[in-house]
Amino acid sequence: MIRRSFVPPSPEAQAVLPVLPLRPVGPEFRKTFLFAAPLGFLRASALSFLCFFVLVALPASAPAQVTYDQILHSADSPSNWLQYAGTYDGHRYSSLSQINRDNVSQLAAQWIFQTPQPGSFENTPLVVNGIMYVTAPEDLAFALDAHTGRKLWAYKRALPEKLRACCGHTNRGFAILGTRLFLATLDAHVVALDSATGNVLWDVQAADYAQGYAFTVAPLVVKDKVIVGVSGGEYGIRGFIDAYDVATGKRVWRFYTIPAPGEPGSDTWSSPEAAARGGAPAWVTGTYDPGLNLLYWPTGNPSPSDDGSGRKGDNLYSNSILALNPDTGKLQWYFQFTPFDLHDWDATEVPVLLDTELDGKPRKLLLHANRNGFFYVLDRTNGKFLFAKPFAKQTWAKGIDVSGKPILLDTPQPGETEGVPTCPGAAGATNWMPPSYSPQTGLLYVTAREQCDVFYTHPQHFVEGRLFLGSMYVPSTKVKDWGAVRAIDPKTGDIRWEYKEFSATWAGNLSTAGHLVFTGDLEGNFIALDADTGKPLWHIQTGSAIYAPPITFELDGRQYVSISSGALLLTFALPAPAR
Amino acid sequence: MRYFLVAIIQCALFLAPPILQSQTTEQQTLAASPSIALQIANGKSTFRVACSYCHGLNADGGFRAPSLISGHLSHGDTDEAILNNILHGIPGTAMPANDIDEAEARDVIAYLHSLQKPASAPASGNLEAGHKVFFGEAYCSRCHMVLGQGGRFGPDLSRVGASRPRDYLIESIRKPDAQLTERLLPLDFGSVPTPYELVSVTTKQGITFSGLILNEDSFSLQFMDDRENIHSWSKSELQSIVHTHRSPMPAYTEQQLSDSQLDDLVAYLASLRGDSK
Repeated sequence: MIRRSFVPPSPEAQAVLPVLPLRPVGPEFRKTFLFAAPLGFLRASALSFLCFFVLVALPASAPAQVTYDQILHSADSPSNWLQYAGTYDGHRYSSLSQINRDNVSQLAAQWIFQTPQPGSFENTPLVVNGIMYVTAPEDLAFALDAHTGRKLWAYKRALPEKLRACCGHTNRGFAILGTRLFLATLDAHVVALDSATGNVLWDVQAADYAQGYAFTVAPLVVKDKVIVGVSGGEYGIRGFIDAYDVATGKRVWRFYTIPAPGEPGSDTWSSPEAAARGGAPAWVTGTYDPGLNLLYWPTGNPSPSDDGSGRKGDNLYSNSILALNPDTGKLQWYFQFTPFDLHDWDATEVPVLLDTELDGKPRKLLLHANRNGFFYVLDRTNGKFLFAKPFAKQTWAKGIDVSGKPILLDTPQPGETEGVPTCPGAAGATNWMPPSYSPQTGLLYVTAREQCDVFYTHPQHFVEGRLFLGSMYVPSTKVKDWGAVRAIDPKTGDIRWEYKEFSATWAGNLSTAGHLVFTGDLEGNFIALDADTGKPLWHIQTGSAIYAPPITFELDGRQYVSISSGALLLTFALPAPAR
Repeated sequence: MRYFLVAIIQCALFLAPPILQSQTTEQQTLAASPSIALQIANGKSTFRVACSYCHGLNADGGFRAPSLISGHLSHGDTDEAILNNILHGIPGTAMPANDIDEAEARDVIAYLHSLQKPASAPASGNLEAGHKVFFGEAYCSRCHMVLGQGGRFGPDLSRVGASRPRDYLIESIRKPDAQLTERLLPLDFGSVPTPYELVSVTTKQGITFSGLILNEDSFSLQFMDDRENIHSWSKSELQSIVHTHRSPMPAYTEQQLSDSQLDDLVAYLASLRGDSK
């Protein structure tokens, strides 16, 4: 029985079609259909046939027709989840409030989807007009009926046998524009799929996976371009950020995150050879300020990540935020958090954009809780450092100086046999798991990891396509690691509250106008916290460590919350009102 | 990004520690040759990058995988079997296929051979006598099970000879708190094994229970008491939880277990490979 009709327009036709969101066909239709059913097969068929024609004639049945204007104003359509961070500013906040702190304890599972491929299920699903678009480990992808979790189509990529993606064959999600979904793949391709069928519209190779290049990032659409950043900081790649034409897949620009010899910043590497395999990947989705027309994209560790002997210097633009013009890929400014990094502290955490008053002046800020343990606030118009404060235990820096550079503590260098314990560990005080910012509370919610490692060096020869780490680290065994959601006041860096977690976790979070923060933990609990106090209000054991951020959407007047866990994607809502 | 090599390197040869001892003498001789020395050095380098996160920095057992120098490899102890396991992984265990070539894998094998210690040599004790100590005088079987015989409170020891070196066995008997054995949990990506640790809880009514921890998260705690009852407590029902960081096992001093009894016991334990005899 078809409750609503998904009639795909051709991708080419989408530009001229009137843009109307797919709406449920409505209770009248459903009643008619249900009424018709008992009247006999013939009559029901005839009625369905009639309905089919009526619906085909309705432009309202176009699937997932997302305009750039909708993307630009994603916050205005909270019933959908249109991009990785919910909105361009990276807030991952929803104005939906049906589920709130008074009723969250009644949340119940509505449906559960399973991907056949276990692994680290890190995706942020997109939801557009009742259809959910999911990416799973090994570059599987699905469109689901968001009412029921039933599959509408599936995409399976034929991946080469020896993928190089170092840290799990994961994918963090789609981007969408019009009827095109964009997927960046583990074998370093960028692919456009038709949102109604999953058919491949274009497929372009960005780099050679055999050299260690890969994509795990959820792409970002800006205007008519789809933007991706590459993974491979463990393989001695030369990182880049690419923009592709949404219609054709033609590459419009590429920004190399390591300057070529002679370019500004190239003198921050001790040799051109070191720079050529210097890493600086860009594997987390950036954010965008349409007013300033600036894209903020974070970069990762220099290679080899823990042995600096062959790459003396600041190693630009590793561990930085790059402010790029999205039309040209030109660098406007950069800010580097951890120069000459020896601990694998990628700056690949979502840069959160916030307009607020600071010291009595309206400011355009960029907030960044960094893997190195410090929370930074920058002026995003020019990259100027404003202040930084630790948000987790750190044992490597006295502090951050007025220019934003770390003041290093005098600790011994790691050796081959003598390890040096350092906090945070290589996985960082936080990591890629997205934070959220609630305008309701004025707080930034960050997943903090209290875990330290003992670092050893172990210089390695560079071999193309091979792991190139230059070291080894082992978790410090003396103290049990633990984690927390910390609510940071972005104006001061003060921690307003903390919700302690049993282990250092990998889940991101979501905040909502229901005064809630949703997150997950390493033991598999999906949790709702009071956004004002951090008090846990509800939790459910999902059966596997959670490595994803939650999302929320609305359908037929009901608010839903979804989270990926293990091989599952679970969707919750309040009990349906009695009919 | 390596937010964890955990991903690749959930490389736990859970069940597969090496033997290599049969070749020890030969290797020691060969180690004199410069090409073998180079091979060992290269193998060490590869081992550190590809294997040590699970098997320990010195191949002596790590968080997620057993020691590779205990004198026995239960998934095959020939060089060819080890090579196959390194290159293709071990189905049914956490040991993954490794993205290294055959020459590098052979270097790793040379490195592992070079690590065989005299301490891993067979114990001098009497196996039969050790069996008696285990099931009799020392009461080990009150808490430990060997192929279905014995108690449930402590770790099952049916395969302990395949996974632990002699030094470790001796330490575990004389000083059980020195290193708490960890339960090797199923492969939940990135999860941390729970140690065999004594935990003590007090309910809001003031009643105290203690036992061996089975699992724990932010909201609940599961443990087994010394009568083998399994407890499940919601943390909201408890007023305190004390992790002792101690093993529930008593330390066996020389008064309780003489050196010769210890030798016999270790000989027995070292013989346990998981097969019924």
